[in-house]
Amino acid sequence: MNLRKNKKASEARDSKRVSSPRPLTPPKLKLLVTVVNRQKAELFLGLLQGFDVNMQLSMAAQGTASTEMRQMLGLTDTDKAVIFSVIREDRADEALRYLDDKFHTIKNGKGVAFTVPMTGVIGVAIYQFLSNYEG
Amino acid sequence: MSAYPYEVIFCIVNAGYSETAMDAAKKCGAKGGTVIHARGTANAGAEKVFGITIEPDKEIVMILVPDGLTDDILHGLYREVGLETAGQGIAFALPVDKVVGLPSGNAKA
Repeated sequence: MNLRKNKKASEARDSKRVSSPRPLTPPKLKLLVTVVNRQKAELFLGLLQGFDVNMQLSMAAQGTASTEMRQMLGLTDTDKAVIFSVIREDRADEALRYLDDKFHTIKNGKGVAFTVPMTGVIGVAIYQFLSNYEG
Repeated sequence: MSAYPYEVIFCIVNAGYSETAMDAAKKCGAKGGTVIHARGTANAGAEKVFGITIEPDKEIVMILVPDGLTDDILHGLYREVGLETAGQGIAFALPVDKVVGLPSGNAKA
């Protein structure tokens, strides 16, 4: 009786393992770079947190239209923000599609975003923080 | 030819030279860039040994370019704002996986 119970319990454990396999390696990280109008920086910082992003760096920047061109076109605002976000590889595509949608739908929300692969990080705790993944 | 469709060039120059850097990049095919103000650090001992002074106020020009233009733009930047010019610039390129937000007709995610 006990042997049958143990066999059933062990089969149940095995089937659980097959149906929800753990990844063999922890997910890689990418650097997501987003360039938006400066007035929208806080908004995009908040939106990106929904993609398991725990660390972001926001910098004041400027677009490169020349002074003469700006005067000619009547542009007053080339003030930009560059946001560096560390994001897991498996959330990156989804985040890019989401950003693309926001660039086209939010007023004054036009921007550019791209990802750069990261090759390494030191420290398990740091990795877990950056990836929001406890493994 | 890189395996990545786009690359991002970071060009770090002395403050005031970002427009020169951008003009050089545009001559080689770049469409535009973003300028970030920064502060550089230098090893005081190395400055004495090599007889140069590093200006702390910097501008970082970030330019997204399709693969294939990177080499020309890096050469152009070296000529106009390289270390031996007043811009004292260095430039390097990083691979870019995917891009969104560029004008239509360009690579997407």
